[in-house]
Amino acid sequence: MPPLADIQRRMARALLHGTDAGMPPTAAAPVSACAAFQVYRDTVLSALANALRLTFPTVDRLVGEAFFDQAACAYAREAPPRRARLVAYGETFPVFLEAYAPTQGLVYLGDVARLDWAIAQALLAPDHGVRRHVTIEETIFLALSVSLTILPVRFPVDVIRAALTDDDDRGLAAIDLTPRPHAVAVWRDGPMAAVQPLSQPAGLFLTAIQFGSTPEEALAAACTAASPQGALRAIQAEVFAARFAEITQIRSEEETP
Amino acid sequence: MLPPLSGATRLEDPIPARAGIGLRFPHHDHVLAKRPDVAWFEVHPENYLGEGVVAGDLEMVRRDYPLSLHATGLSLGSADGLDLEHLSAIAAFSRRIQPGLVSDHLSWSAAGGLHLPDLLPLPFSEEALAVVARNVDQTQTVLGRQILIENPSAYLAFADSALTEAEFLGELVRVSGCGVLLDVNNIVVSAGNLGESPALRLGQLLDHVPPGAIGEIHLAGHAVRPLADGAVLRIDDHGSPVSPRVWSLFETVIARIGPRPTLIEWDTAIPAFDVLRAEEASAQSILDWRAETPAYAAAR
Repeated sequence: MPPLADIQRRMARALLHGTDAGMPPTAAAPVSACAAFQVYRDTVLSALANALRLTFPTVDRLVGEAFFDQAACAYAREAPPRRARLVAYGETFPVFLEAYAPTQGLVYLGDVARLDWAIAQALLAPDHGVRRHVTIEETIFLALSVSLTILPVRFPVDVIRAALTDDDDRGLAAIDLTPRPHAVAVWRDGPMAAVQPLSQPAGLFLTAIQFGSTPEEALAAACTAASPQGALRAIQAEVFAARFAEITQIRSEEETP
Repeated sequence: MLPPLSGATRLEDPIPARAGIGLRFPHHDHVLAKRPDVAWFEVHPENYLGEGVVAGDLEMVRRDYPLSLHATGLSLGSADGLDLEHLSAIAAFSRRIQPGLVSDHLSWSAAGGLHLPDLLPLPFSEEALAVVARNVDQTQTVLGRQILIENPSAYLAFADSALTEAEFLGELVRVSGCGVLLDVNNIVVSAGNLGESPALRLGQLLDHVPPGAIGEIHLAGHAVRPLADGAVLRIDDHGSPVSPRVWSLFETVIARIGPRPTLIEWDTAIPAFDVLRAEEASAQSILDWRAETPAYAAAR
Protein backbone atom coordinates (compact mmCIF):
# COMPACT_ATOMS: atom_id res chain seq x y z
CA MET A 1 0.00 0.00 0.00
CA PRO A 2 1.36 3.49 -0.83
CA PRO A 3 2.29 5.82 2.06
CA LEU A 4 -0.75 7.36 3.75
CA ALA A 5 0.26 10.89 2.76
CA ASP A 6 0.30 9.85 -0.92
CA ILE A 7 -3.12 8.19 -0.66
CA GLN A 8 -4.62 11.27 0.96
CA ARG A 9 -3.16 13.76 -1.53
CA ARG A 10 -4.27 11.65 -4.48
CA MET A 11 -7.74 11.23 -3.04
CA ALA A 12 -8.08 14.96 -2.32
CA ARG A 13 -7.19 15.75 -5.95
CA ALA A 14 -9.50 13.00 -7.20
CA LEU A 15 -12.44 14.31 -5.20
CA LEU A 16 -12.00 17.88 -6.40
CA HIS A 17 -11.11 17.22 -10.01
CA GLY A 18 -12.89 13.96 -10.79
CA THR A 19 -9.94 11.75 -11.69
CA ASP A 20 -9.85 8.53 -9.67
CA ALA A 21 -6.66 7.28 -11.35
CA GLY A 22 -3.84 6.28 -9.01
CA MET A 23 -6.03 5.45 -6.03
CA PRO A 24 -5.12 2.23 -4.18
CA PRO A 25 -7.47 -0.72 -4.78
CA THR A 26 -10.62 -1.01 -2.71
CA ALA A 27 -12.14 -4.17 -1.24
CA ALA A 28 -14.92 -5.90 -3.18
CA ALA A 29 -18.28 -4.58 -2.00
CA PRO A 30 -21.87 -4.30 -3.23
CA VAL A 31 -21.36 -0.56 -3.80
CA SER A 32 -18.74 -0.06 -6.52
CA ALA A 33 -15.65 2.05 -5.87
CA CYS A 34 -16.86 4.47 -8.54
CA ALA A 35 -20.21 4.98 -6.79
CA ALA A 36 -18.45 5.27 -3.43
CA PHE A 37 -16.07 7.95 -4.70
CA GLN A 38 -19.03 9.82 -6.14
CA VAL A 39 -20.68 9.96 -2.69
CA TYR A 40 -17.55 11.48 -1.17
CA ARG A 41 -17.22 13.90 -4.11
CA ASP A 42 -20.88 14.97 -3.85
CA THR A 43 -20.55 15.44 -0.10
CA VAL A 44 -17.43 17.60 -0.39
CA LEU A 45 -18.81 19.83 -3.14
CA SER A 46 -22.28 20.18 -1.65
CA ALA A 47 -20.79 21.03 1.76
CA LEU A 48 -18.67 23.75 0.18
CA ALA A 49 -21.57 25.08 -1.89
CA ASN A 50 -23.79 25.19 1.20
CA ALA A 51 -21.09 26.93 3.22
CA LEU A 52 -20.81 29.57 0.50
CA ARG A 53 -24.61 29.87 0.31
CA LEU A 54 -24.74 30.70 4.03
CA THR A 55 -22.08 33.39 3.58
CA PHE A 56 -23.47 34.80 0.30
CA PRO A 57 -27.28 34.70 0.69
CA THR A 58 -27.92 37.77 -1.48
CA VAL A 59 -25.92 36.30 -4.36
CA ASP A 60 -27.90 33.06 -3.93
CA ARG A 61 -31.21 34.95 -4.14
CA LEU A 62 -30.05 36.87 -7.19
CA VAL A 63 -28.90 33.93 -9.29
CA GLY A 64 -31.04 31.07 -7.90
CA GLU A 65 -30.05 27.81 -6.21
CA ALA A 66 -29.01 25.80 -9.30
CA PHE A 67 -26.84 28.53 -10.76
CA PHE A 68 -25.33 29.28 -7.35
CA ASP A 69 -24.40 25.60 -6.91
CA GLN A 70 -22.73 25.58 -10.33
CA ALA A 71 -20.70 28.71 -9.57
CA ALA A 72 -19.86 27.55 -6.03
CA CYS A 73 -18.60 24.16 -7.23
CA ALA A 74 -16.47 25.83 -9.92
CA TYR A 75 -15.03 28.12 -7.24
CA ALA A 76 -14.46 25.22 -4.84
CA ARG A 77 -12.42 23.39 -7.48
CA GLU A 78 -10.39 26.50 -8.26
CA ALA A 79 -9.95 27.74 -4.68
CA PRO A 80 -10.64 24.90 -2.21
CA PRO A 81 -10.54 25.79 1.47
CA ARG A 82 -7.30 25.61 3.40
CA ARG A 83 -8.90 25.55 6.86
CA ALA A 84 -11.67 23.66 8.61
CA ARG A 85 -13.60 26.76 9.61
CA LEU A 86 -15.92 27.13 6.62
CA VAL A 87 -17.60 30.29 7.91
CA ALA A 88 -14.32 31.97 6.97
CA TYR A 89 -14.24 30.40 3.49
CA GLY A 90 -15.00 32.45 0.38
CA GLU A 91 -13.07 35.69 0.76
CA THR A 92 -12.10 35.57 -2.94
CA PHE A 93 -15.55 34.44 -4.17
CA PRO A 94 -16.49 38.04 -5.21
CA VAL A 95 -13.40 38.29 -7.44
CA PHE A 96 -14.11 34.82 -8.84
CA LEU A 97 -17.69 35.80 -9.71
CA GLU A 98 -16.48 38.87 -11.60
CA ALA A 99 -14.28 36.67 -13.80
CA TYR A 100 -16.72 33.72 -14.06
CA ALA A 101 -17.90 33.61 -17.66
CA PRO A 102 -21.56 32.64 -17.00
CA THR A 103 -22.05 35.72 -14.76
CA GLN A 104 -20.53 38.28 -17.12
CA GLY A 105 -23.94 39.85 -17.72
CA LEU A 106 -24.40 40.51 -13.98
CA VAL A 107 -21.81 43.25 -13.61
CA TYR A 108 -22.95 44.08 -10.06
CA LEU A 109 -22.68 40.50 -8.75
CA GLY A 110 -19.11 40.89 -7.44
CA ASP A 111 -20.08 43.96 -5.41
CA VAL A 112 -23.17 42.20 -4.04
CA ALA A 113 -20.90 39.34 -2.98
CA ARG A 114 -18.58 41.84 -1.26
CA LEU A 115 -21.54 43.13 0.75
CA ASP A 116 -22.52 39.57 1.74
CA TRP A 117 -18.94 38.87 2.83
CA ALA A 118 -18.76 42.06 4.88
CA ILE A 119 -22.05 41.19 6.60
CA ALA A 120 -20.84 37.67 7.38
CA GLN A 121 -17.61 39.02 8.86
CA ALA A 122 -19.53 41.57 10.94
CA LEU A 123 -21.65 38.77 12.41
CA LEU A 124 -18.48 36.89 13.34
CA ALA A 125 -17.03 39.93 15.13
CA PRO A 126 -17.41 40.63 18.87
CA ASP A 127 -20.44 42.66 19.89
CA HIS A 128 -18.27 45.21 21.66
CA GLY A 129 -14.80 46.51 21.11
CA VAL A 130 -12.99 49.17 19.19
CA ARG A 131 -11.07 48.77 15.95
CA ARG A 132 -9.62 52.25 15.81
CA HIS A 133 -9.31 55.20 18.20
CA VAL A 134 -8.79 58.49 16.41
CA THR A 135 -7.87 61.74 18.11
CA ILE A 136 -10.03 64.36 16.45
CA GLU A 137 -8.81 67.18 18.69
CA GLU A 138 -6.70 67.18 21.81
CA THR A 139 -9.63 66.15 24.04
CA ILE A 140 -12.04 64.63 21.49
CA PHE A 141 -11.72 61.02 20.41
CA LEU A 142 -13.54 58.98 17.77
CA ALA A 143 -13.87 55.22 18.40
CA LEU A 144 -14.97 52.95 15.52
CA SER A 145 -16.61 49.56 16.16
CA VAL A 146 -14.36 46.53 15.83
CA SER A 147 -16.95 45.02 13.48
CA LEU A 148 -17.02 47.97 11.05
CA THR A 149 -16.16 47.53 7.38
CA ILE A 150 -16.26 50.37 4.87
CA LEU A 151 -17.03 48.87 1.50
CA PRO A 152 -16.18 50.86 -1.63
CA VAL A 153 -18.36 49.53 -4.47
CA ARG A 154 -19.54 50.60 -7.93
CA PHE A 155 -23.22 49.66 -7.54
CA PRO A 156 -25.91 50.45 -4.93
CA VAL A 157 -25.62 47.04 -3.27
CA ASP A 158 -27.52 48.07 -0.16
CA VAL A 159 -30.54 48.95 -2.30
CA ILE A 160 -30.24 45.70 -4.29
CA ARG A 161 -30.09 43.68 -1.06
CA ALA A 162 -33.05 45.51 0.46
CA ALA A 163 -35.18 44.93 -2.64
CA LEU A 164 -34.34 41.22 -2.62
CA THR A 165 -35.01 40.89 1.10
CA ASP A 166 -38.41 42.54 0.62
CA ASP A 167 -39.18 40.49 -2.55
CA ASP A 168 -39.65 43.84 -4.28
CA ASP A 169 -39.24 42.86 -7.94
CA ARG A 170 -40.44 46.24 -9.23
CA GLY A 171 -38.03 48.07 -6.96
CA LEU A 172 -35.23 45.78 -8.06
CA ALA A 173 -35.97 46.43 -11.72
CA ALA A 174 -35.96 50.20 -11.13
CA ILE A 175 -32.50 50.38 -9.56
CA ASP A 176 -30.04 52.51 -11.52
CA LEU A 177 -27.15 50.16 -12.30
CA THR A 178 -24.88 52.74 -13.88
CA PRO A 179 -21.44 52.13 -12.33
CA ARG A 180 -20.35 55.01 -10.09
CA PRO A 181 -18.55 55.21 -6.74
CA HIS A 182 -20.64 54.14 -3.74
CA ALA A 183 -19.61 53.40 -0.16
CA VAL A 184 -21.43 51.30 2.41
CA ALA A 185 -20.77 50.89 6.12
CA VAL A 186 -21.37 47.40 7.53
CA TRP A 187 -21.13 46.57 11.23
CA ARG A 188 -22.59 44.34 13.90
CA ASP A 189 -25.47 45.89 15.82
CA GLY A 190 -26.37 43.40 18.58
CA PRO A 191 -27.53 40.13 16.99
CA MET A 192 -27.89 41.69 13.52
CA ALA A 193 -25.65 43.19 10.86
CA ALA A 194 -26.38 46.83 10.01
CA VAL A 195 -25.85 48.25 6.52
CA GLN A 196 -25.73 52.00 5.95
CA PRO A 197 -25.04 53.77 2.65
CA LEU A 198 -22.52 56.59 2.93
CA SER A 199 -22.16 59.76 0.92
CA GLN A 200 -18.94 59.97 -1.03
CA PRO A 201 -17.23 62.39 1.39
CA ALA A 202 -18.15 60.30 4.45
CA GLY A 203 -17.01 57.14 2.67
CA LEU A 204 -13.69 58.68 1.70
CA PHE A 205 -13.16 59.97 5.25
CA LEU A 206 -13.84 56.59 6.86
CA THR A 207 -11.83 54.66 4.29
CA ALA A 208 -8.85 56.91 4.92
CA ILE A 209 -9.23 56.53 8.71
CA GLN A 210 -9.44 52.76 8.39
CA PHE A 211 -6.23 52.71 6.37
CA GLY A 212 -4.43 54.65 9.13
CA SER A 213 -4.63 58.23 7.88
CA THR A 214 -4.74 61.13 10.32
CA PRO A 215 -8.04 63.03 10.67
CA GLU A 216 -6.51 65.89 8.66
CA GLU A 217 -5.54 63.54 5.84
CA ALA A 218 -8.95 61.86 5.95
CA LEU A 219 -10.70 65.24 5.82
CA ALA A 220 -8.56 66.21 2.84
CA ALA A 221 -9.67 62.97 1.12
CA ALA A 222 -13.31 63.80 1.86
CA CYS A 223 -12.84 67.29 0.43
CA THR A 224 -11.96 65.79 -2.96
CA ALA A 225 -15.65 64.89 -3.29
CA ALA A 226 -17.28 67.98 -1.74
CA SER A 227 -16.63 71.49 -0.51
CA PRO A 228 -14.96 71.67 2.93
CA GLN A 229 -18.28 72.70 4.52
CA GLY A 230 -20.16 69.92 2.69
CA ALA A 231 -17.55 67.34 3.66
CA LEU A 232 -17.70 68.36 7.34
CA ARG A 233 -21.50 68.25 7.35
CA ALA A 234 -21.43 64.76 5.85
CA ILE A 235 -18.84 63.54 8.36
CA GLN A 236 -20.76 64.93 11.31
CA ALA A 237 -24.05 63.45 10.16
CA GLU A 238 -22.90 60.08 8.85
CA VAL A 239 -19.82 59.30 10.95
CA PHE A 240 -19.88 61.14 14.28
CA ALA A 241 -23.61 60.45 14.77
CA ALA A 242 -23.49 56.85 13.50
CA ARG A 243 -24.14 53.80 15.70
CA PHE A 244 -20.80 52.29 14.66
CA ALA A 245 -18.93 55.29 16.10
CA GLU A 246 -18.58 56.82 19.51
CA ILE A 247 -17.32 60.31 20.23
CA THR A 248 -15.68 60.79 23.60
CA GLN A 249 -14.76 64.17 25.02
CA ILE A 250 -12.33 64.33 27.91
CA ARG A 251 -12.51 67.49 29.96
CA SER A 252 -9.20 69.30 30.32
CA GLU A 253 -7.55 69.64 33.77
CA GLU A 254 -8.41 73.37 33.96
CA GLU A 255 -12.09 72.52 33.58
CA THR A 256 -12.02 69.78 36.21
CA PRO A 257 -13.75 71.06 39.36
CA MET B 1 2.18 -2.94 18.61
CA LEU B 2 2.55 0.73 19.56
CA PRO B 3 3.43 1.85 23.09
CA PRO B 4 0.80 3.81 25.06
CA LEU B 5 0.93 7.61 24.62
CA SER B 6 0.75 10.22 27.33
CA GLY B 7 -1.82 12.92 26.53
CA ALA B 8 -5.08 11.45 27.83
CA THR B 9 -6.58 12.24 31.17
CA ARG B 10 -9.18 10.19 33.05
CA LEU B 11 -12.49 9.57 31.31
CA GLU B 12 -15.00 11.94 32.86
CA ASP B 13 -18.76 11.73 32.35
CA PRO B 14 -20.42 15.02 33.21
CA ILE B 15 -22.89 14.57 30.33
CA PRO B 16 -25.71 12.43 31.80
CA ALA B 17 -26.36 8.94 30.43
CA ARG B 18 -29.59 10.23 28.96
CA ALA B 19 -30.85 11.16 25.51
CA GLY B 20 -29.76 14.54 24.12
CA ILE B 21 -30.22 16.50 20.91
CA GLY B 22 -27.81 17.87 18.32
CA LEU B 23 -28.43 21.64 18.38
CA ARG B 24 -28.44 23.35 14.98
CA PHE B 25 -28.89 27.01 14.00
CA PRO B 26 -32.62 26.80 13.07
CA HIS B 27 -33.46 25.82 16.67
CA HIS B 28 -31.36 28.40 18.54
CA ASP B 29 -34.21 30.85 19.01
CA HIS B 30 -36.63 28.14 20.14
CA VAL B 31 -34.20 26.73 22.70
CA LEU B 32 -33.25 30.16 24.05
CA ALA B 33 -36.87 31.28 24.28
CA LYS B 34 -38.52 28.09 25.59
CA ARG B 35 -35.69 26.43 27.53
CA PRO B 36 -37.07 22.93 26.74
CA ASP B 37 -36.48 20.11 29.19
CA VAL B 38 -33.63 18.45 27.26
CA ALA B 39 -30.91 16.66 29.24
CA TRP B 40 -28.04 17.97 27.08
CA PHE B 41 -27.12 19.35 23.69
CA GLU B 42 -24.27 18.76 21.29
CA VAL B 43 -22.86 21.18 18.69
CA HIS B 44 -20.16 21.25 16.03
CA PRO B 45 -17.57 23.71 17.44
CA GLU B 46 -16.36 24.72 13.96
CA ASN B 47 -19.65 26.60 13.53
CA TYR B 48 -19.14 28.68 16.68
CA LEU B 49 -15.48 29.66 16.79
CA GLY B 50 -14.79 33.34 17.44
CA GLU B 51 -16.91 35.87 19.27
CA GLY B 52 -19.75 36.29 16.80
CA VAL B 53 -23.53 36.20 17.19
CA VAL B 54 -23.92 32.40 17.23
CA ALA B 55 -21.09 32.01 19.76
CA GLY B 56 -23.02 34.35 22.03
CA ASP B 57 -26.14 32.22 21.54
CA LEU B 58 -24.24 29.12 22.55
CA GLU B 59 -22.87 30.72 25.71
CA MET B 60 -26.47 31.42 26.74
CA VAL B 61 -27.46 27.81 25.98
CA ARG B 62 -24.50 26.60 28.03
CA ARG B 63 -25.76 28.46 31.10
CA ASP B 64 -28.77 26.12 31.23
CA TYR B 65 -27.59 22.85 29.65
CA PRO B 66 -24.61 20.48 29.62
CA LEU B 67 -22.94 20.72 26.22
CA SER B 68 -20.88 18.29 24.20
CA LEU B 69 -18.55 19.43 21.41
CA HIS B 70 -18.52 17.18 18.35
CA ALA B 71 -15.76 18.41 16.05
CA THR B 72 -15.71 17.62 12.34
CA GLY B 73 -12.54 19.40 11.27
CA LEU B 74 -9.61 18.22 13.38
CA SER B 75 -8.72 15.70 10.66
CA LEU B 76 -7.23 13.23 13.13
CA GLY B 77 -6.27 10.85 10.33
CA SER B 78 -4.14 13.32 8.36
CA ALA B 79 -0.66 12.04 7.59
CA ASP B 80 0.42 15.68 7.26
CA GLY B 81 -0.36 16.22 10.95
CA LEU B 82 -2.82 18.54 12.66
CA ASP B 83 -3.67 22.14 11.82
CA LEU B 84 -2.30 23.56 15.06
CA GLU B 85 -4.01 26.92 14.62
CA HIS B 86 -7.37 25.18 14.29
CA LEU B 87 -6.64 22.90 17.24
CA SER B 88 -5.69 25.93 19.29
CA ALA B 89 -8.99 27.63 18.37
CA ILE B 90 -10.94 24.52 19.38
CA ALA B 91 -9.01 24.39 22.66
CA ALA B 92 -9.77 28.05 23.42
CA PHE B 93 -13.44 27.47 22.59
CA SER B 94 -13.49 24.38 24.80
CA ARG B 95 -12.04 26.35 27.72
CA ARG B 96 -14.77 28.93 27.26
CA ILE B 97 -17.70 26.52 26.89
CA GLN B 98 -16.50 23.86 29.37
CA PRO B 99 -18.10 20.95 27.52
CA GLY B 100 -18.87 17.64 29.15
CA LEU B 101 -17.50 15.69 26.19
CA VAL B 102 -15.31 16.44 23.17
CA SER B 103 -15.22 14.19 20.13
CA ASP B 104 -14.22 13.91 16.46
CA HIS B 105 -14.04 11.14 13.88
CA LEU B 106 -11.82 8.27 12.76
CA SER B 107 -11.23 9.92 9.40
CA TRP B 108 -9.26 12.63 7.62
CA SER B 109 -10.19 15.85 5.84
CA ALA B 110 -6.93 17.68 5.18
CA ALA B 111 -4.09 16.77 2.82
CA GLY B 112 -1.51 18.74 0.88
CA GLY B 113 -2.65 22.04 2.38
CA LEU B 114 -6.31 21.55 1.38
CA HIS B 115 -9.28 20.99 3.66
CA LEU B 116 -12.17 18.96 2.26
CA PRO B 117 -15.32 19.09 4.43
CA ASP B 118 -16.03 15.37 4.65
CA LEU B 119 -15.07 12.44 6.84
CA LEU B 120 -12.81 10.62 4.40
CA PRO B 121 -11.84 6.96 4.83
CA LEU B 122 -8.57 5.66 6.21
CA PRO B 123 -6.83 2.45 5.28
CA PHE B 124 -6.68 0.45 8.51
CA SER B 125 -2.91 -0.05 8.38
CA GLU B 126 -0.23 0.07 11.04
CA GLU B 127 1.00 3.33 9.51
CA ALA B 128 -2.47 4.88 9.75
CA LEU B 129 -2.79 3.68 13.35
CA ALA B 130 0.47 5.41 14.24
CA VAL B 131 -0.67 8.61 12.50
CA VAL B 132 -4.08 8.71 14.22
CA ALA B 133 -2.62 7.78 17.61
CA ARG B 134 -0.06 10.58 17.31
CA ASN B 135 -2.72 13.11 16.30
CA VAL B 136 -5.16 12.02 19.01
CA ASP B 137 -2.42 12.22 21.61
CA GLN B 138 -1.49 15.73 20.49
CA THR B 139 -5.15 16.79 20.55
CA GLN B 140 -5.69 15.38 24.05
CA THR B 141 -2.53 17.09 25.26
CA VAL B 142 -3.56 20.50 23.87
CA LEU B 143 -7.15 20.16 25.13
CA GLY B 144 -5.98 18.75 28.45
CA ARG B 145 -8.64 16.05 28.36
CA GLN B 146 -9.65 12.78 26.79
CA ILE B 147 -11.53 12.89 23.49
CA LEU B 148 -13.93 10.37 21.98
CA ILE B 149 -13.38 9.03 18.46
CA GLU B 150 -16.42 8.20 16.32
CA ASN B 151 -16.64 5.30 13.89
CA PRO B 152 -17.55 7.09 10.62
CA SER B 153 -19.90 5.92 7.89
CA ALA B 154 -17.98 4.18 5.08
CA TYR B 155 -18.71 3.89 1.38
CA LEU B 156 -15.56 1.94 0.56
CA ALA B 157 -12.78 0.00 2.28
CA PHE B 158 -9.18 -0.17 1.11
CA ALA B 159 -8.21 -3.63 -0.13
CA ASP B 160 -4.95 -4.01 1.77
CA SER B 161 -6.08 -2.92 5.24
CA ALA B 162 -4.26 -5.02 7.83
CA LEU B 163 -6.89 -4.44 10.53
CA THR B 164 -10.66 -4.21 10.71
CA GLU B 165 -12.21 -0.93 11.86
CA ALA B 166 -13.05 -2.59 15.17
CA GLU B 167 -9.47 -3.80 15.69
CA PHE B 168 -8.16 -0.36 14.69
CA LEU B 169 -10.43 1.43 17.19
CA GLY B 170 -9.62 -1.02 19.96
CA GLU B 171 -5.90 -0.58 19.41
CA LEU B 172 -6.30 3.22 19.19
CA VAL B 173 -8.06 3.25 22.56
CA ARG B 174 -5.23 1.21 24.05
CA VAL B 175 -2.35 3.30 22.75
CA SER B 176 -3.83 6.79 23.00
CA GLY B 177 -6.19 6.52 25.95
CA CYS B 178 -9.01 8.03 23.91
CA GLY B 179 -12.62 6.91 24.24
CA VAL B 180 -15.08 5.90 21.54
CA LEU B 181 -18.24 7.56 20.31
CA LEU B 182 -20.27 4.68 18.93
CA ASP B 183 -22.45 5.82 16.00
CA VAL B 184 -25.02 3.06 15.52
CA ASN B 185 -26.36 4.59 12.31
CA ASN B 186 -22.85 4.53 10.85
CA ILE B 187 -22.61 0.82 11.67
CA VAL B 188 -25.72 0.17 9.56
CA VAL B 189 -24.60 2.50 6.72
CA SER B 190 -21.07 1.03 6.54
CA ALA B 191 -22.24 -2.58 6.80
CA GLY B 192 -24.77 -2.07 4.01
CA ASN B 193 -22.29 -0.38 1.67
CA LEU B 194 -19.50 -2.88 2.37
CA GLY B 195 -21.66 -6.01 2.19
CA GLU B 196 -21.47 -6.94 5.86
CA SER B 197 -24.00 -7.86 8.53
CA PRO B 198 -24.73 -4.78 10.72
CA ALA B 199 -25.09 -6.99 13.78
CA LEU B 200 -21.74 -8.65 13.07
CA ARG B 201 -20.01 -5.31 12.49
CA LEU B 202 -21.46 -3.97 15.74
CA GLY B 203 -20.47 -7.15 17.59
CA GLN B 204 -16.89 -6.85 16.36
CA LEU B 205 -16.69 -3.28 17.63
CA LEU B 206 -18.10 -4.22 21.02
CA ASP B 207 -15.67 -7.15 21.20
CA HIS B 208 -12.60 -5.01 20.51
CA VAL B 209 -13.43 -1.78 22.36
CA PRO B 210 -13.66 -2.05 26.17
CA PRO B 211 -17.20 -1.11 27.32
CA GLY B 212 -15.78 1.52 29.65
CA ALA B 213 -14.20 3.30 26.71
CA ILE B 214 -17.54 3.90 24.98
CA GLY B 215 -18.49 7.35 26.26
CA GLU B 216 -21.31 8.35 23.94
CA ILE B 217 -23.70 6.96 21.32
CA HIS B 218 -25.05 8.65 18.19
CA LEU B 219 -28.36 7.84 16.50
CA ALA B 220 -29.53 9.32 13.17
CA GLY B 221 -31.36 8.56 9.97
CA HIS B 222 -29.84 7.74 6.60
CA ALA B 223 -30.97 7.70 2.99
CA VAL B 224 -31.32 4.53 0.93
CA ARG B 225 -30.70 4.88 -2.80
CA PRO B 226 -30.95 2.02 -5.33
CA LEU B 227 -28.16 2.14 -7.93
CA ALA B 228 -28.41 1.27 -11.62
CA ASP B 229 -26.29 -1.87 -11.14
CA GLY B 230 -28.77 -3.24 -8.62
CA ALA B 231 -26.72 -2.34 -5.53
CA VAL B 232 -28.24 -0.35 -2.69
CA LEU B 233 -26.33 2.69 -1.47
CA ARG B 234 -26.87 3.92 2.08
CA ILE B 235 -25.99 7.59 2.55
CA ASP B 236 -25.37 9.00 6.01
CA ASP B 237 -27.31 12.22 5.46
CA HIS B 238 -28.86 12.67 8.93
CA GLY B 239 -32.03 13.75 7.16
CA SER B 240 -34.77 11.39 8.39
CA PRO B 241 -35.95 9.54 11.51
CA VAL B 242 -33.77 6.85 13.05
CA SER B 243 -34.41 3.60 11.15
CA PRO B 244 -35.92 0.49 12.81
CA ARG B 245 -32.64 -1.40 12.23
CA VAL B 246 -30.71 1.31 14.09
CA TRP B 247 -33.19 1.30 17.00
CA SER B 248 -32.83 -2.47 17.23
CA LEU B 249 -29.03 -2.32 17.30
CA PHE B 250 -29.19 0.50 19.85
CA GLU B 251 -31.16 -1.80 22.15
CA THR B 252 -28.45 -4.43 21.68
CA VAL B 253 -25.73 -1.92 22.59
CA ILE B 254 -27.52 -0.68 25.71
CA ALA B 255 -28.29 -4.24 26.82
CA ARG B 256 -24.60 -5.09 26.53
CA ILE B 257 -22.85 -2.00 27.93
CA GLY B 258 -25.57 -0.16 29.86
CA PRO B 259 -26.90 3.38 29.39
CA ARG B 260 -24.67 6.01 27.78
CA PRO B 261 -25.21 9.64 26.73
CA THR B 262 -27.15 9.15 23.50
CA LEU B 263 -27.55 11.85 20.87
CA ILE B 264 -30.22 12.35 18.21
CA GLU B 265 -28.49 13.91 15.16
CA TRP B 266 -30.44 15.57 12.35
CA ASP B 267 -28.47 17.78 9.93
CA THR B 268 -30.33 17.98 6.60
CA ALA B 269 -33.98 18.84 6.00
CA ILE B 270 -34.02 19.80 9.68
CA PRO B 271 -37.55 19.32 11.07
CA ALA B 272 -39.48 21.14 13.79
CA PHE B 273 -37.96 20.80 17.24
CA ASP B 274 -40.90 18.63 18.36
CA VAL B 275 -39.85 15.95 15.86
CA LEU B 276 -36.42 15.82 17.48
CA ARG B 277 -38.05 15.65 20.91
CA ALA B 278 -40.04 12.60 19.80
CA GLU B 279 -36.85 10.85 18.65
CA GLU B 280 -35.16 11.85 21.90
CA ALA B 281 -38.09 10.35 23.87
CA SER B 282 -37.76 7.06 21.95
CA ALA B 283 -34.05 6.89 22.78
CA GLN B 284 -34.74 7.75 26.41
CA SER B 285 -37.34 4.98 26.71
CA ILE B 286 -34.71 2.43 25.67
CA LEU B 287 -32.18 3.89 28.10
CA ASP B 288 -34.80 3.82 30.88
CA TRP B 289 -35.76 0.24 30.10
CA ARG B 290 -32.18 -0.86 30.46
CA ALA B 291 -31.58 1.16 33.60
CA GLU B 292 -34.67 -0.44 35.22
CA THR B 293 -33.78 -4.07 34.45
CA PRO B 294 -32.87 -5.88 37.69
CA ALA B 295 -29.52 -7.23 36.47
CA TYR B 296 -28.25 -3.83 35.45
CA ALA B 297 -29.66 -2.08 38.51
CA ALA B 298 -27.92 -4.65 40.74
CA ALA B 299 -24.66 -4.18 38.88
CA ARG B 300 -24.83 -0.45 39.49
